[in-house]
Amino acid sequence: MRSGILWLITVLCLLTGGAATAQQAEVTLEVNKTAFQKIDILVNMLDVLSGGMASVQMADTVEDVVINDLKLSGLFRVGTSEGQSDSLSFEYTIEGSVEGPLRDAAQTGENVPTTISLNLLTWPGRQLVLNKRYRPLPDQMRSTAHHFADQVIYYLTGAPGITQSRIVFSRGTGDRRDLFVIDYDGFGEMRLTANRTLNLCPDWSPDGKQIAFTSYRNGMQGVYSLETRTGNVRKIIEQDGLNLGADWHPSGEELLLSLSRGGNPEIFRITPNGDIIKRLTVSKAIEISPSWSPGGRDLVFTSDRTGTPQLYIIDNEGAGRRRLTFEGQYNDSASWSPNGEKIVYATRSGNFTQIVLMKPTGEDRRVLTDFRWRNAEDPSWAPDGRHIVFASDRSGVFKLYVYDVAEDTYRQLTFGDDPDITPAWSH
Amino acid sequence: MNFSSLSRVTLVALILVLGLGLTLTGCGKKAPVETEPQVEAEAPIEEVPETPVAEDPTPVEKAIDYAALEPADFGVEDIFFAFDQYDLDAEAMGLLSRNARILREADVTILVAGHCDERGTIEYNLALGEKRANAVRDYLISLGVPAGKLRVTSYGENKPFVRGSDENAWALNRRAHFTRP
Repeated sequence: MRSGILWLITVLCLLTGGAATAQQAEVTLEVNKTAFQKIDILVNMLDVLSGGMASVQMADTVEDVVINDLKLSGLFRVGTSEGQSDSLSFEYTIEGSVEGPLRDAAQTGENVPTTISLNLLTWPGRQLVLNKRYRPLPDQMRSTAHHFADQVIYYLTGAPGITQSRIVFSRGTGDRRDLFVIDYDGFGEMRLTANRTLNLCPDWSPDGKQIAFTSYRNGMQGVYSLETRTGNVRKIIEQDGLNLGADWHPSGEELLLSLSRGGNPEIFRITPNGDIIKRLTVSKAIEISPSWSPGGRDLVFTSDRTGTPQLYIIDNEGAGRRRLTFEGQYNDSASWSPNGEKIVYATRSGNFTQIVLMKPTGEDRRVLTDFRWRNAEDPSWAPDGRHIVFASDRSGVFKLYVYDVAEDTYRQLTFGDDPDITPAWSH
Repeated sequence: MNFSSLSRVTLVALILVLGLGLTLTGCGKKAPVETEPQVEAEAPIEEVPETPVAEDPTPVEKAIDYAALEPADFGVEDIFFAFDQYDLDAEAMGLLSRNARILREADVTILVAGHCDERGTIEYNLALGEKRANAVRDYLISLGVPAGKLRVTSYGENKPFVRGSDENAWALNRRAHFTRP
């Protein structure tokens, strides 16, 4: 009888407690969606002071890039001077000028710098908030505009801009896949490797100077580092068996990866020269896909010690293991958000893989993709903690997509017939 | 049980020709009936003499340039796996004991490459493929194949044998494939 009453009380507590958390979760979601009011900003046409047609083209490029950057950030409603209704009230305006050489470079073909002045002002008060002057060469217009947009975003929202970030990924079919890199806005695609083997699972060093990746370039699997400035490749580690899933520590002074050394895949910490610092896991199961927390003190990884792949968190000494995922028969490819508040990963449900968002506590699980995406895999966070890049074959072939977690919108990043997989966003 | 099956075999052996009786107790592959007893008969003869025989001047028929051939060309067969699994079933073990017989004799190093179907993630499939290849390697070693003859790698889902997104294609892509290193 006593235990019966206790049981009843417990059930009641569970029921009411459950209802309360569900309500809270809903409220939080609402707040998140409306907490941030977008900033209305007007981007005016730049004044072309000199330099003829070449300067006009440069002005067009700078305007287009700034407008696109502000839109892609998700933080602004952007108006342009063309076809703008007077009824809209803007909080800020961007103006500027382009001052080219006296002789039109479009005719002389000269590769000379142009002076670009860009200003951010309040509207309608017209108080100068931000003023930047640049002296770029003609092929530096996009990066110039990205830089200014980053400044505007940071100044007005405090959010780290991602306009100068890039995404590295693996492109190809079968056992011929090469690394490519692309600007966050889909421009400037460039091939990085060409060795007629498998090259995949890249990850940027925190300073962006190196990309660690798994390659079969010597026949067997190894982890290599590609210097982004020169394209030079050096071996980090090549042990018997699996050499996979390199993830740079935020300090840049070590990496996580999975090594099987002829036996069972375990998580290791190694130096950038391939010396083993510490083995973090010991089990008969598969342990792969490690990802550092932003502080570099903990890591999330995949283990199938229970019979199915699930996510676990341990500290950098391998201690304090706790299981993160209990829902789903197959969870892998976790990536810890830059602010530490979210973990994104892939879950397999039926025959297809989907992207899931969750707090590192295991709460607030939210599936981002549905059946329309077919498979969505290998998520990686943008430095702003708002956007995620992942691979999906929703078009029939795996391509990369950028997903805005705050607004549940997406855009396709890469195009073409060759499959693109395992993307990694620069830091 | 053991006794009754034994006596049944004895009975069959009494009634039928001895060679035919051996094929009935054999491993039941769909190979032509006549070739089975030959393989069965050959194996013990090659096993009983120790290494000196292998070092004798090799007859013309033994001069196989293994390194120039794919393992399938000298009878080594790929091993298939169930969905999400890397353990060997009875059929796989049967095939592997035949493979082991060949590999013990063949003067060659071979690569065991693990493969998966397209479902699941790139990384887990690479690990799963390696588990499959390791399971095959370990079983071959347990059957007396020198470890030095076996190398292991995994391609995960990256190098499918059959294109397609159906059960048939998936089943054919979940394998440990024997190839040249």
